[in-house]
Formats: sequence, C-alpha cells, structure tokens
Amino acid sequence: MREKPGCRGCALPAILLSCTTRSSHPPGPAPAGEPHGSLAIQTEGLSKRYGRTLALDALDLGVRQGEVYGYLGPNGSGKTTTIRLLLGLHRPSAGRGTLFGIDAWRDPVAAHRRVAYVAGEPFLWPALTSEETFAFLASLREGIDVAYRDVLVERFQLDTAKRVRALSKGNRQKVQLIAAFASRADLLILDEPTGGLDPLMEVAFRETVTEAKARGQTVFLSSHILSEVEALCDRVGILRAGRLVDQGTLAALRHLSAQTVEVTFDGPAPRLDGLPGVHVASAGANALRLEVSGSIGPVIASLASHPVLALSSREPTLEEIFLHHYDSSDGRVGD
Amino acid sequence: MSATSAIARRTLASSRARNVSFALLFGLVAYANVAGYRSAYPTLKDRLGFAHAFGGNASLRLFYGKPFDLLSVGGYSAWRIGGITSIFAAVWGVLAAVRALRAEEDAGRQELVLAGLVSRRDAYLAALAAGGAGMALLWLALFLGLLAGRLPAGESAYLALATVAVVPVFLGVGALASQLAPTRRLALELSSAALTLALLVRVVADTASGLDWLRWVTPLGWVEELRPFTGAQPAVLLVPFACAALLLAAAGAIAVRRDVGRGVLATQETAAPRLRLLSSPTALAFRGERASFAGWLLGTGSFALILGVISTSVSSAGISNNFQRQLQKVAAVSITTPSGYIGLSFLFFILAVSLFCCAQLAAARHEEAEERLETLLALPVSRRGWLAGRLGLALAGAVVISLAAGVLSWAGAAAQNAGISLASMLEAGANCLPVAALFLALAALGFALLPRASGGLAYGLVAVTFVWQLLGGLLGAPKWLLDLSPFQHVGLVPAQPFRAGDAIAMLAIAAAAGLAALWLFDRRDLIGE
Repeated sequence: MREKPGCRGCALPAILLSCTTRSSHPPGPAPAGEPHGSLAIQTEGLSKRYGRTLALDALDLGVRQGEVYGYLGPNGSGKTTTIRLLLGLHRPSAGRGTLFGIDAWRDPVAAHRRVAYVAGEPFLWPALTSEETFAFLASLREGIDVAYRDVLVERFQLDTAKRVRALSKGNRQKVQLIAAFASRADLLILDEPTGGLDPLMEVAFRETVTEAKARGQTVFLSSHILSEVEALCDRVGILRAGRLVDQGTLAALRHLSAQTVEVTFDGPAPRLDGLPGVHVASAGANALRLEVSGSIGPVIASLASHPVLALSSREPTLEEIFLHHYDSSDGRVGD
Repeated sequence: MSATSAIARRTLASSRARNVSFALLFGLVAYANVAGYRSAYPTLKDRLGFAHAFGGNASLRLFYGKPFDLLSVGGYSAWRIGGITSIFAAVWGVLAAVRALRAEEDAGRQELVLAGLVSRRDAYLAALAAGGAGMALLWLALFLGLLAGRLPAGESAYLALATVAVVPVFLGVGALASQLAPTRRLALELSSAALTLALLVRVVADTASGLDWLRWVTPLGWVEELRPFTGAQPAVLLVPFACAALLLAAAGAIAVRRDVGRGVLATQETAAPRLRLLSSPTALAFRGERASFAGWLLGTGSFALILGVISTSVSSAGISNNFQRQLQKVAAVSITTPSGYIGLSFLFFILAVSLFCCAQLAAARHEEAEERLETLLALPVSRRGWLAGRLGLALAGAVVISLAAGVLSWAGAAAQNAGISLASMLEAGANCLPVAALFLALAALGFALLPRASGGLAYGLVAVTFVWQLLGGLLGAPKWLLDLSPFQHVGLVPAQPFRAGDAIAMLAIAAAAGLAALWLFDRRDLIGE
C-alpha cells in the first residue's frame, strides 16, 4: 500500500476550520498565512468564456489537503467548467488554477498523477468489460490498490464480466467510481458522481468517501444533492452563474444565516420588531415565527417578560442556505 | 402524419452538409466532363482518335466502366459521368441510410422518438422519405450540370436518373445493415463491404474479356446497362427498383419486429476478460480498430489481386503517337502494357489508403466527440502522446495496406507471367504513402483546428483533389492549378519512375502539418459532439 502524504487540514478541529475562512462576499482564496503547498486546489481569478457566455467569473478557490469540499450549484452554474479548467481539459480565458501547486494546463501529466476524476456522465469504452476497463485504466497510472478495488467491486455489487455497452448508467458510474477510489490518488475530483446510483449505492458511496477522508485523501465533490454534501463535506462553496457566492464550513454558513425561532405564548403575542437582527417572519394570534441573525440572546432576554408556553429554535438546513443564495429578491447576493 | 414529416425534416436537416457537398460535387463533375470533352475534342476526327485510344482501354474502365459510344458528347458523358458518380451515389446511399437509421439508435435518440406518438413503421418510412428527398437533390444537381453543358434535356434527365438509380439500392443495403448490426460502426462496415464487392464485380465485368454478363450481377453494372445516350434501355430501371424494394421491405420488416437499440446480430453482453492490448491508449485504439484494419486489408488486397490477374488481358492494339499525346491529358502513362495498367490502377490504391487515413482520424475525433477522450486525458496521459499514437497507428496501417496491395497485385500478375518484379510492386505500394501521409497530416491539422468539421473536411479534400486530378487535365486547366492536387505529383510506378523529389516534398509538408497539429491540439479545449 502506498504511503499517503501527511495532511494538515484534516488534523484541524472543525471549530478551528470554521474560524479560518469566512468572508461573506466573494470569499478569499486561501486562508492567509497558510503555506501554498498545503492546498490541493487553488484558483486565482479563474475565468472561462465560451464565445459570448461567461461560464466562470474570476473564481478564487482554495481546497485544503485532506478535506472534503462540497461544490454546490444548480445546473449550468459552472461546476463542470471549473473541473475542466482544473484538469487542464479546457484552457482558462483568464486567471489560473493549480492542483498541488501544478498548473494542469501547463503540465497536465504531472498534475493528473495525483488526481483521479469521475465525470458526471460515464464515458467509457463500450466494447470493454468492466474488468478490462479496470485493467486499461490501471495501465495508465501507478499505484492502483487492487485489493481495495476488489472490496469496492463487492461493495458496489458490480458484475465485472459485463461489457460497458450492456451496463445501465448507474452501473457505468460505478465503474468510474471504483477505478477512481482504487487509484488512491491524493485528490479525487467527483463531478455529480451519484447521478445514476440507487439509495443503497448512495450509502456505499458515502462510506467510500468517508474511508478516503480517513486515509487523508482530499475530495472535491461537485453536487447539487444537498443531503449528500451536508453529510460528507467539511467545507462548502456555493456557485451561482459562474461566481462563487459563498464559501465556508457548514457551521460558519449556518452561523451567518438566520436561524428560525418559533414561540407560542399564553395569551396574545407581543411585538418584538425593535430588536436588532430579528425579523418577524409570520405572526399569529398567540404565536410568532422569527428569523434571527447572529445571537438569539437578545430575543431570549426580551421574551423573559412574556408568558411563553413553548419555544423552539433550529439552525437553517443547507437547503435553506442554498435557496437563500438563489433568491434573487435577497439583496445580500447579487451580480 | 405530421410526426412522420417532422422526423423526415429533422433527418434532412441533420444531413444538410453531406447532401449539399455531394450535390455540388455531382453538378461540377457533370458540367466539367461535358464542357471538357466538347472543348478538347471538337471535331469528329478528334473524337475518332480519342475513341480509338480509349475505347479498348481496360484501365480507364476501372474508374469509368465500359464505354458504349465515344463519338458523341452524350455518349462520352454517359461513360465518364455515370461510371464514377454512380460509385459516389452508392456511397451517399449507404451513409444516408445508416445515419438515419442505425446512428440515431446508437445514440439513443431513436428511443425518445419511438416513445412518442410515432409507430416504428412511420419512423422507418420517414427516414426513407428523407433518403428519397436527398436522392432527388442529387438527381437535380446532375441534371442541371448536364444542362449547363448544353446537352438535351430529356436525355440529360435520363442519364441523371440512371446514375442515381443506384441510390435506392444502396439505401436498401444501408437500411438492411442497420437492422443487422447493433452499432453504427458495424453497419457502415457491412455496407462498405457490400459496396466494395459491387465495385469489384463491375471492374471485373468491364475489364476482363468474356465476362460482360457479370455486369448484371452488380448494381453498379445496371447503371451501365441503362445505356443513357447510347440506345437507352429504360426497362432496365426495373432491376434496381425491384432490388431496392426487396431490400427496403426486408429491412422494414425487421425494423418493426426487433428490439429498439439492438441488432439482429447478437452482441455478447458478458465476456471473459482479454487483457491483451490494454497497455496504452494507442494499444487500446488498435484493439478497437482491428476489425476495421482487417476489412480495409481484405478489400484492397482482393482488389489488388484481381488487378494483377487481369493486367495481362489489356488490349495491346497499336496506339499512334498522336493519340498517346491525348492520352497524356488524362494520365501521363502508356496504359496498354500490364505495368502501365497496374501503374494507373494504383491511383485507386492511393485514394483508398488516403481514405483509410481519413477514417482513422475520424475515429480519433469520434473518441473526442463521445467524450471518452476526456476520461482518458484526465489521467496521466499526454495529449501529444495520444494524438501521436493515433497518427502512428494510422501510418502503420497505411504502410501495411499499401505494401499488401503491392505484393498481391504482383502475385496476381506473376500468376499470368506479366513479367513485373516484386521489387517494383513493393515500390508501387510504398509510392502510395507520401500522398496518404500528406492527407493524414492535413486531416490531423483539421482535427486540431476545427474538430467538429474535421471529418467532412478531410474526406472532402481527398475527394475533391482526386476528382480534380481526373478532370483538370481534360479541362485544360493551367499547370499550377493542376499541381494543387497531390495525386498530380505521383509517379505511376511501375510504369513511370518513382518521383523522389515530389515524395520528399509531400513528406516534408506532412511532417510540418503533423507537428503543427500536435502543437495546436495541445492548446485547444476538448470539444464534445
């Protein structure tokens, strides 16, 4: 088995991570003062224009070694474009991106030695069986963990004697995933990898990503399946129309987003409009629903003098954070 | 009904580029032949001379078929135009059918169409209707080209009809192959095999003495038997039409019965792993192209063998010096000797090997279009290495095919004691390579610069320069214009000496273009379909 390079990122406790990067608009690239080499992915002003369409607009991204980074965005927001630029498959119109400090446009082979890629659409060789596909892909890179590959074949329940032509989309996706994870590459770039997988295989996928993380591998997971990202990722970047509109740990994103407080009173609901950072989302005869930014301390304090029957508060889900960024009426984010 | 016409219109729209380029080629060939003959041979005396020189000439029959009358503009045109454009028309028919029927299924789009309110029968008929409309366009192009050359309208219409009469037959061949083969690739290969066989039979019927009856066996021979301008036999039209009806009905009967997306020929869904030829992208490309290599080798090899065998049956009736001069306008070589015959025939092999190179580049482009190349190049595989491997593979295939053509035509000729040495035939084979390498490199340049258009450009360039080589001399075009065709720079080995200077020049241009292609491909985005 190959020895993995040490990883500083994953050794940091989550709370520390949450403090290191957080700037609400547009997020900065790498945390200041961190050594360049510790970043698995770094981009500076990375842009891509296809004819008149600006597919990616000055992306500044920093993914630390050993973390699982969720790259969120709706269809057509520029996720796949980012990956193609990172891999040097398309040429940046401006800016640059590096994988472990290597510009993949300049030196793709060196960059790709440390990377395994799973494309959103499984484009493989239809005449080969899965086993032949594994053999072919293994001949193109060093350090395949064959024993682990067998484990994965078992876990994903893949019939390796079948020709790729005869496989369903989900099964072809498994071929890609198994080949990528068995490579033990330092960085796994996964572009909507679970598109064709059933819920059981989705579980197997999460298990495999968790194993990769435990091993110190970095995972860049482009997705729009929020539950998957919420379950797996240390940090999240949210892309909108080619621009990164938010980036940080889930805890930090939640922290800055409003949390919901629901209060039921024994009697008519009081007016709480004057409190800073508090927005009354809806008011009933004897109930209130509040959106609270920042600490809920002042709300609790002012509720103390009222006859409160029940009080509940919850953090926003990733879905709410995500939707919040795509709500065009919201002034916080704009183009 | 509206759905059917929508499918037919969609099919026509997606084949627009091919239809228009074939129509332009047809119109040009028709006009240039008529006008060229009229200006080159204005008097009866000139034409008698031409007929005497060419009438019994077996090697010209390779390309054009058997002439029935060379004294009238019409008779000449029927021979020159019908003979060669009917081959192109057959190619068009195969491409149109396979594209409309199997390629749509291969891409998975047919499933979407048939999941709608369209019956399989209607979808099939719609594809045929698009083929019929394309055929009408080709007919019109030929007819207008002939009219522009001032031939009478009625007979021009008939000659154009006789030429495109092969279209429904080969639409039928393509349609049937599309039912049998589960992939577009195999459907094209099966139809190409049928087309090669049809051409082979016509060549034998037209060149070997006493085998005239063979013309009735091949659809390309039926065109000749229709005898436009030379005592038309319109009743013969029944033969291609009946044959087409049979093929199309059989294909239709299969189309409405079989599973969508699959072919009659079963594909193995599971297989024991065969781990050979998986060591590199080039090895895998060879693994994928093996069957195609074998097909090209079989086709050109059998052609070469037959040419060798019939090379001694060429009429050696005396040809005066005066006629030799005229003859040189078409191909500068004495063609009544076995070596002359083989030398001229090798233009065919140069064409074939060049087309093989285009097909190899098209396969490389296909890999990119289907985005498998993205999967590959996201691995530690260099772009230059991948393309260089593909080019090397194409070149190696071209070498094998060329030398095999040389060796097999030598074997055929030796069996008839033609007195041609193996060394000179190996030289003739190798003589194909500079032109083929040039076209390969230009195709690679097209691939690097204009990936989406590259296939059409490469095939188009080969076709246009080849036709120009055949026509330009007759039209009396200036030398610099003729010299634009690489075919013009080939010594017809073994009848002529190998032209080393031209070969080196072509190889140098090829090397420069190939390196430029590698450099440019390294600097562009990968582009899907």
